[in-house]
Amino acid sequence: MKSCSCRRCRGARTVFSLTPEPISATAREVPSAGGFVSFEGKVRDHAGGRQVLRLEYEAFDELAVSEGELLCQEAMQRFRLLDVRVIHRTGRLEIGETAVLIQVAAAHRKAAFEGCEWLIDELKKRVPIWKKEFYADGDSGWVAVEPVAPIDERFYERQLRLPEVGEAGQQRLREARVLLVGVGGLASGSLPYLAAAGIGTIGLVDDDVVDVSNLHRQILYRAQDEGKIKVERAAEFAKRLNPTINITTIPYKLSKININELVEQFDWVVDGTDSLEVKFLLNAACKRLRKPFTTASVHRFEGQILTVMPDGPCLQCLFPETPPDACVGTCAEEGVLGLTPGLFGILQANEVLKGLLGYGEVLSQELMLFDLRTGESQRLARQKREYCPACQGDYKMPSNDLEVATLEEAQAKLGEFRLVDVRESDELPRLKVKHEVSPLSRFTWEPSETPTVFICAHGVRSYQVASQCRAQGISNAYSLAGGVLNPSFKEPV
Amino acid sequence: MKIKVRYFAVLRDRRGVGEELIETDVRTVRELVESLIRQHSLGLPPSLIRAAVNGSFANDGDKLSDGDEVVLLPPVSGG
Repeated sequence: MKSCSCRRCRGARTVFSLTPEPISATAREVPSAGGFVSFEGKVRDHAGGRQVLRLEYEAFDELAVSEGELLCQEAMQRFRLLDVRVIHRTGRLEIGETAVLIQVAAAHRKAAFEGCEWLIDELKKRVPIWKKEFYADGDSGWVAVEPVAPIDERFYERQLRLPEVGEAGQQRLREARVLLVGVGGLASGSLPYLAAAGIGTIGLVDDDVVDVSNLHRQILYRAQDEGKIKVERAAEFAKRLNPTINITTIPYKLSKININELVEQFDWVVDGTDSLEVKFLLNAACKRLRKPFTTASVHRFEGQILTVMPDGPCLQCLFPETPPDACVGTCAEEGVLGLTPGLFGILQANEVLKGLLGYGEVLSQELMLFDLRTGESQRLARQKREYCPACQGDYKMPSNDLEVATLEEAQAKLGEFRLVDVRESDELPRLKVKHEVSPLSRFTWEPSETPTVFICAHGVRSYQVASQCRAQGISNAYSLAGGVLNPSFKEPV
Repeated sequence: MKIKVRYFAVLRDRRGVGEELIETDVRTVRELVESLIRQHSLGLPPSLIRAAVNGSFANDGDKLSDGDEVVLLPPVSGG
């Protein structure tokens, strides 16, 4: 058996090997894995209607092993696998013999099934191993690797006819690199149209998996995708629609650590997240790196959209303070009609296409509001703000020292503190630990030298109270994140 | 003076109406926002609410006049 011993592969728990001997292997043990999938590809007695007697595999050894190792590494990362092993036969094989064995281990079964299927599909396309079939009629032939479906030149015919597109415009789309951050309801509107229009490279960032409660608005996914990695499913959707484009999947959360590196590789950034923190972080990074940035947000039946150009007014010119996520509801808390984010996603794709093709004007000096109940839209003019940290390149992530994660953390951080419950008197469960009560509906509370931690059911009302205290100059007010109904809430004993 | 106020997103939910005509004696945008927060328990500090007057985003100190249309926007996050 040969396996790669390059520096990248040494020590990693994956292995790709070639062997001229019959394959037999038992699965390696991985204590943290709950799902093991093993696939065996066997030599069958027919192909394309002809009877097959035997096969011969020939590999370009060095290249096959290094390509195979890369493939295994990629599978580990894409599907968060814990272990991968691939063994491929070479030489002469009889009917019924195992040609390839793939074993993967993952924490959960879905990732294991998905990773295994992906590995066999990609292996056939990418690893230089050729198959020669020997037929019963005495003939034989090398079987080509599976080709990518050729795309008809008529794919773009109808948009090429638009004077605003034409061959030159289509070329601009082909050369464009667009990053979609968040692959949810908004991206369900933007991704299909950007892919179909022929954007050459699309990056997808999201660390989430598909949940059943996503499906009414995130129509990139199907009911059977529950539990699967979103960026993978979304990439498959886009590749099926337009196989000629490149899709890069990034199954991680965007953070201040990786944001510059990511944004730098793209020409246009589209925000499809539901996090205010990420929106402001993206806004600042795009300003700094001079990338156009389109952001949209939705609420029930309405939404808003704007585009930030390198020299124009930005999101922070509009909202100088980065609002905490807890101060406004998300789709999960407030509810949303499925097509609201879809419509705004389509409007986001339109911004990108307008910018790349030059038809119309992007919303770079305005914010557009649209209400699906009334059909009313409104465009509000935006201006640059003189001392905008994002525009001046010194944006700092809000440190969020307003929230404490647990009462124990509050104790450690603040020492002695007052605990004030701002829930109404009929809200359960009541606290056992020593506390004061001041329901928000008739709020009375006197600040003191001793720090105060406000507490409520979900950490939303307490956040509002604490942030209003801060706004009034009371610096020792805090909020318990998640509140009493947070499953991890514990009272100190 | 009379001012038309339009509320969006979570502000609409908390106010209970999408728009209203109000009679007020406030002078600036900031005073209007503060008085509406107090009156209707809008639940956000004034610094997080953006106001547009007659189709353009306004600054806190901008003066209001009779017949102005003011749009109030909270930050919106849903996606």
